[in-house]
Amino acid sequence: MTSLGDRILGLGLLVLAVAYGWAAQQWPEPFGGAETVGPETFPTMLAVVLVAGSLYLMIKPDPDAQWPIGKSAFELMVSLVVLVVYTLLLEPLGFVIATTLAVGTLSWRMGAAPKPAFLTGLLSAVVVFVLFNYGLSLSLPAGLLEVQ
Amino acid sequence: METLGFLMEGFAVALTPYNLMFALFGAFVGTLIGCLPGLGPANGVAILIPLAFTLGLPPETAMILLTAVYAGAMYGGRISSILLNIPGDEPAMMTCLDGYPMAQKGRAADALAVSAIASFAGGLIGTIGLIMLAPVLAKFALTFGPAEYFALFLLAFATLGGITGKNPVKTVVAATLGIMISTVGIDISTGTQRYTFGVLELYEGIDFILAIVGLFAISELLFFVESRMGRGRDKMNVGKLTLTMKELVMTIPTQLRGGVLGFISGVLPGAGASLGSFISYTLEKQVVGRKGKFGEGDIRGVVAPEAGNNGASSGALVPMLTLGVPGSGTTAVLLAMLISLNITPGPLMFTQNADIVWGVIAALLIGNVLLLVLNIPLVGFFVKLLSVPPMYLLPIVTMVAFVGIYSISHSTFDLYFMVAFGVAGYFLRKLEIPLVPIILGLLLGPEMEKNLGHALVLSDGDWSVLWASPLAMGLWIVAGLGLILPYLIGPLLRRRMNAAMKENPVSD
Repeated sequence: MTSLGDRILGLGLLVLAVAYGWAAQQWPEPFGGAETVGPETFPTMLAVVLVAGSLYLMIKPDPDAQWPIGKSAFELMVSLVVLVVYTLLLEPLGFVIATTLAVGTLSWRMGAAPKPAFLTGLLSAVVVFVLFNYGLSLSLPAGLLEVQ
Repeated sequence: METLGFLMEGFAVALTPYNLMFALFGAFVGTLIGCLPGLGPANGVAILIPLAFTLGLPPETAMILLTAVYAGAMYGGRISSILLNIPGDEPAMMTCLDGYPMAQKGRAADALAVSAIASFAGGLIGTIGLIMLAPVLAKFALTFGPAEYFALFLLAFATLGGITGKNPVKTVVAATLGIMISTVGIDISTGTQRYTFGVLELYEGIDFILAIVGLFAISELLFFVESRMGRGRDKMNVGKLTLTMKELVMTIPTQLRGGVLGFISGVLPGAGASLGSFISYTLEKQVVGRKGKFGEGDIRGVVAPEAGNNGASSGALVPMLTLGVPGSGTTAVLLAMLISLNITPGPLMFTQNADIVWGVIAALLIGNVLLLVLNIPLVGFFVKLLSVPPMYLLPIVTMVAFVGIYSISHSTFDLYFMVAFGVAGYFLRKLEIPLVPIILGLLLGPEMEKNLGHALVLSDGDWSVLWASPLAMGLWIVAGLGLILPYLIGPLLRRRMNAAMKENPVSD
């Protein structure tokens, strides 16, 4: 069972390839009648190649890589959540606050002490904000800090 | 002579204060990125693309900036090899062999200086090779028809897994996935909506800049979180420069050999900089024989691989500029930039966008001089940077990637997409699916489909046209070899590289 990763990947790709290829056959014939090369020709070829590739992966899988378990899997999830929440809060909270929180949390979870972590976040957020807004005149959202 | 005239025009483009400023900035940032362990040239260029975009730089300036970053990153890679025995990227691996022992003997300053000079020599030789070879190849490529182009694209995919790629099937799968992503959106020839599921944001297809930044930068962050390698390093003592003129003169033949070998392996599809530095080092060891002290801090052991990998980085630009087929991951990212600037790379670029091509080539020459000048006095600064713990640096780099993407479209939809690509990149890298063919598939997919269509229309639907001409047939054969050879040679090469590393047990 040491090659589970590739087998699952192969299965996933097979499903993808079949769905992708099937979808290509459903498109209506383009105006002017079917030609040698329609919109579906190229995708159909790709689907065939991918089916072959995915079958190979399932039949002859490589040994598995080390997958993160326990704590590092948890930390990975945390970083991912931070990235998604950062995106979510970027506009409402504004760039500086959101970035301070995101960079700070990431540094902290990677092993920095909380205080220097959030300070780094604040500092880098302010520097980038000033640089982008005033130096390069590309507006980043000011959010809560907006001066009316 | 004609070439020389173009080159002069190129210098006129590259030497304007505006472009020069960006070349300098790029060279500096590139070195910075290169010397940070974990961030290679491909990541560096990927992160800066959005910036070049949002600044609305003119095409030649944008390309000059990114090429300078590319060259700079190749320069920077050696710093962590010499001081920490950690190669910044694969090509810098061979530099560890003699660079780190030199540093241990208190000759770090000498190793850094001589490797900077070797990088310069390699870069210069590579660029001269590029100047001589590229126009010839571009002329030759003008004879290509759609069928030849289709075969050429296959060749590019087949060889991009590279000599060090492990499983050719995974390269094929990766390329197919990339091309599949490129088919999302409205089909240009018929107007059929393909795989958009009615989502408005998908009508124009998936922006490959999102994919590139996500796959490279975000997945790098996730990998770092998992391995948590970093507490930062103690500041290394660089020591005094004791390099003598005699030693420098002694390394000149090494620099020449390394640069030429590197250039050749850079031009060859799929070989790239890793092979360049490896064969330069091995050849040098054989030429010098027992007189050398390779592995114990022989100065030529630092010069050869550095000249080799910098020669290769210029060599890799040859197929990219002339055929529109990149020879390495980083040149694939550069190609992405060209395509998004609405410039079709390939032979026609030499006539239609001569100012850009020659401006970039001239900028490479200037960049190499800038890098040499920058690297010798600033080496202390870059060394200090190495002692900044990555747990502070990586989040900042990630944030810069977010800012870059956000500034292009001001849409958070794109950011979610980028994160999704990052997660996909993480899993694919774990499963040893190479990322570069995915990017290349995304980039070349539309061109490939267009050429397939043209070829089949011209032949009235006869598929054999794809391999009818001797040239197309030749390309198919080379593509086949490109898939099979890494399978045979790759493990051997990797074993050799690892064996060479093991020969010198260095205490970390």
